[in-house]
Amino acid sequence: MLEEKIKQITDDFNSDIKSVEDIQKLEEIRIKYLGRNGVVSSLFDELKKASNEEKPALGKSLNLLRNKITEDFNSIKTRFESLDDLKEIKIDLTLPGTRRQIGSKHILTQTLDEIKTIFQSMGFSVYEGPELESDYYNFEALNFAPDHPARDMQDTFFINKDFVLRTHTSPVQIRLMESHKPPVRAIMPGRVYRNEAVSARSYCMFHQVEGLYVDTDVTFAELKGTLVSFAKQFYGDDLKYRFRTSFFPFTEPSAEMDITCFLCHGGGCKVCKQTGWLEILGCGMVDPNVFKYVGYDSEKYTGYAFGMGIERTAMLKYGIDDIRVFFENDLRFLKQF
Amino acid sequence: MKISLNWLKEYVDLKGITTKEIISKLTLAGLEVEDVFDETEIYKNFIVGLVKDKQKHPNADRLSLCTVFDGKNDLQVICGAPNVEKGQNIVFAPAGTIIPKGNFEITKAKIRGIESNGMICSEDELLLSDNHEGIIVLDSRLKPGTKITKALGLNDVILEIGITPNRPDALSHIGIARDLAAIFKRNLLVPKRKLKESKEKIKSAAAIEIQDTINCPRYSAKVVKDVDVKESPEWLKNRLTKIGLRPRNNIVDITNYVMHECGQPLHAFDLNLLCGNKIIVKSTESESVFVTLDSKERKLPAGSLMICDAEKPVAIAGIMGGENSEIKDATKNILIESAYFNPSVIRKTAKALGLNTDASYRFERGTDPNNTVYAAERAAQLISEVAGGKILNGVIDIYPVKIKEKKLRLRIERIEKVLGYTIPLKSVSLILKKLGFKILSASTGFITVSIPAFRPDIEREIDLIEEIARIYGYDNIPTVSKISISLGEKNDSSAFADKARDAALSLGFYEMINNPLQSEELSALTGKPIKIMNPLSTDMEYLRTSLLPGALTVVSQNIKHGEKDLQLFEIGNVFNLNSDSGIESFKDFTEVQKFIFVLTGKIQQKEWCQSEKNADIYVLKGLVHSFECKILLDNVLNDSYYHDGNSLFDLFFTKKFGDLEIGSGGRIRKEVLKKFDIQQDVFCFEFSLDELKKIKIKRRKYTEPLKFPKVIRDFAFIFDKSVQCNDVEKFIRQQGSELLKSVKLFDLFENDSIGADKKSLAFNLEYFSEERTLTEEEVEREFNRLISEVTNKFNAKLRGS
Ligand SMILES: [Zn+2]
Repeated sequence: MLEEKIKQITDDFNSDIKSVEDIQKLEEIRIKYLGRNGVVSSLFDELKKASNEEKPALGKSLNLLRNKITEDFNSIKTRFESLDDLKEIKIDLTLPGTRRQIGSKHILTQTLDEIKTIFQSMGFSVYEGPELESDYYNFEALNFAPDHPARDMQDTFFINKDFVLRTHTSPVQIRLMESHKPPVRAIMPGRVYRNEAVSARSYCMFHQVEGLYVDTDVTFAELKGTLVSFAKQFYGDDLKYRFRTSFFPFTEPSAEMDITCFLCHGGGCKVCKQTGWLEILGCGMVDPNVFKYVGYDSEKYTGYAFGMGIERTAMLKYGIDDIRVFFENDLRFLKQF
Repeated sequence: MKISLNWLKEYVDLKGITTKEIISKLTLAGLEVEDVFDETEIYKNFIVGLVKDKQKHPNADRLSLCTVFDGKNDLQVICGAPNVEKGQNIVFAPAGTIIPKGNFEITKAKIRGIESNGMICSEDELLLSDNHEGIIVLDSRLKPGTKITKALGLNDVILEIGITPNRPDALSHIGIARDLAAIFKRNLLVPKRKLKESKEKIKSAAAIEIQDTINCPRYSAKVVKDVDVKESPEWLKNRLTKIGLRPRNNIVDITNYVMHECGQPLHAFDLNLLCGNKIIVKSTESESVFVTLDSKERKLPAGSLMICDAEKPVAIAGIMGGENSEIKDATKNILIESAYFNPSVIRKTAKALGLNTDASYRFERGTDPNNTVYAAERAAQLISEVAGGKILNGVIDIYPVKIKEKKLRLRIERIEKVLGYTIPLKSVSLILKKLGFKILSASTGFITVSIPAFRPDIEREIDLIEEIARIYGYDNIPTVSKISISLGEKNDSSAFADKARDAALSLGFYEMINNPLQSEELSALTGKPIKIMNPLSTDMEYLRTSLLPGALTVVSQNIKHGEKDLQLFEIGNVFNLNSDSGIESFKDFTEVQKFIFVLTGKIQQKEWCQSEKNADIYVLKGLVHSFECKILLDNVLNDSYYHDGNSLFDLFFTKKFGDLEIGSGGRIRKEVLKKFDIQQDVFCFEFSLDELKKIKIKRRKYTEPLKFPKVIRDFAFIFDKSVQCNDVEKFIRQQGSELLKSVKLFDLFENDSIGADKKSLAFNLEYFSEERTLTEEEVEREFNRLISEVTNKFNAKLRGS
């Protein structure tokens, strides 16, 4: 008897609660079922009359019913209340969100970071060295003989006859080899200076990354492989490349690496001076004379070195045609990257 | 250096090889072709035109109105040249033609109201020479409409080749031809000498003495008598103008021709102007003055090598001849100098004079000491061909210590060790032979190679390996696809700067990169600047001593562009002198990596839901603190505050680690801002990253969340304005028991209602214990004790009591 009633009341409640439309109606339902004289409490009164054998089972189902009604009621009430709030405040979701300023790395730093990440994944460490350098590190130990025309290759700012603003990051190679025994595998980023008139194409200072790897079996073929892998990761997988003979006093053989111009795809344009090729870096096998300066045995060890300009790289990659914009720090420029 | 392909073909057979291929292979072998001037392409639109009529331009006195027949039509053309006449054959550029000089296109245009359908050209406009006196007048037998490339034989290709300083051997047509012969496996054809000499012996006409044999190891000479000095024949003038030289007279032109043919610079003296018919080569002992053939007086440093006659200097050796002995129209007898000079003495003198000539350029890189006689004889032969005269018998050749060819041993396995690839021995031998090396012997494992004197750059085995690799082709050496990585410790010396940069980014700042070269005024503002010996300008004469002046310059520039709200940072090195006696070692200066924050204007813009907020000293303080937290150095550094600041800041504070100042900054003084033309407040703080880096960073450790509730209490006191917040806070901390874990200022109130010289500070206190729940009573007791301590110490009044 009581069991049937419980079932009946569950069904009644389910249909009542479905038809509820506002919070007043909901309150009426609450009073009807859960009020002091409501349906549920009358059932509890009836339970007292049940036999001792029936009591535990019936009590359990009655409790379940009460819990279900209470839970359903509460969840619907919360929904109604939040709906009510919305109706009252009338929130305009089309208003703009509050802005937050996010800073940015200089585009040259971002470019260097990309280069660093690639070489670090190939097992290169990172070392730095001073910008105000001695003639010894900047030239002599790199096999630039005094009074040799090779010194004219880099227009130099002199502090005096023995100190210069470094013209390349290569002196860090010497410092690194002086303080470490082979194997060494490192890149060396930094700022360099050239005594060149400022124009859209050249600036009196810029940034380079130098690379060096010395061990017992380092070869030119490995240098090529490493740089090709770098270029593909940095510039894109489908590029063509070539290695041209070049001259640097501190490498022998020396080369420069070109990739197909990605503006004209090799057809020739203004940026590649109609050649279809873009020079991206200089490289070569470390000259035995350099090993002599740092006390490495050039019979036992071979090594390669390479270097590239970060400004040039960023200009190529982002289509920037005036090097000076990097150092004007115009907020409108900085915010673009 | 300019190379004519037609000329080049005299020394190497290039049949069947395209110009494109020649250019590409030269470039790959290290002789980079930087520019190509292809006459067939450049002159393709120019034709022979006949001037059928010439009238005065009605609106311009200096212009003529010509009727030009182009082989098909009569065209109206305006011409400004004074020498244009009716009946002339001229070079005509129809509309649509690109004019080589200036690279512009000729279009149909009205000139002073009258239409012109093309242009009548001068040599200068066609880049045939620098003659712009008037238009070119062509042979009258030419048919109008004939292509100019055919009429003038313009079918050459001129290559501009960049020669690296290690390759003096490539500074001539034969030098380039030798590389091409090796690349394409062709034969090098060096012109043979065909001398018809007179009976008169050279020794009776001239004598040579070298006093400085170190700087002049060899001096050779030929004498030609009774020459006729005049304009050179067309073929010779043509050869020289195409490679950018201006023809002078037949004698000088031949010396230039031979230099560009074989690389040996020559000089021709008027023998009759050499006192005692004698040449003496010696170095100067003191500074001297000499007039070169361009009529300029040159101041020579002591130790310059001079060519003298019996009485006086007649040339600066290897650089330029003197006015006193140069070839003139009346010259009859000439002495041709063909010498080898020590490269470094030529370089030193040329540098001191600031004079760079075709001759000095070659001598300072190193010419071939064993080719002087060939060059002198070749020049004598050609001079007799273009200027007549008789070549005296024999050669004077002073060469006291012969420069021997070097011998090098090349191990075959070493080629593989360096390149990572085995080049067949047959290829190795062929390449070396074609380049002019002699293979003296071949044994198992190595060959012995003799190095010609024209290759001073080949000194070691590795240099030979490069020669082989570059001719074999770098692209023919395989590219490895695997590398091994050693597992040793990886260093990253830029890691700390990267961390500081990331901290600044997370605080919403933009990174700038400034030029460290500054004016004296800017750099002296913040330290003891280091001067550049050879600056580009006074704006860039010193190295920066701090990142501050650069930052303020950027602020000023941006404000001018309308960007007034700036939050920027920079990481960079700054340089300061340590001593007054200049820089002799690394101890005499410091180079330190610094970090600077600069902020100005609004840090929060006005929006519909929030008001704007300007940067102030507290924003800067908070920022610096957040930065410390980000790089895990919070609670490590101590603050000091200075109200009157220093010469740069009016509100100033520093961060110290122990006694060492690590950073400083504050609000920039108005007077300083005025220098940068800035009218709004600017706040800066500069850290030394090098010093920060040295501090051992505490490792972050996990702390368990607190298990027992915190008890929070607030109080506010009214103080005299002179009381410093920092002092009160410190006092509360000191006086509080170990249960007091945090003291935080949360309100500052100043108003006449509490007294004009008073302020109210409200603090928030946090009590808890990691071991137990605190009782209300013990906190209350503690809190009340603090109230009375503060009241007594600062003569303060508890608010709301
Ligand atoms: Zn291109």
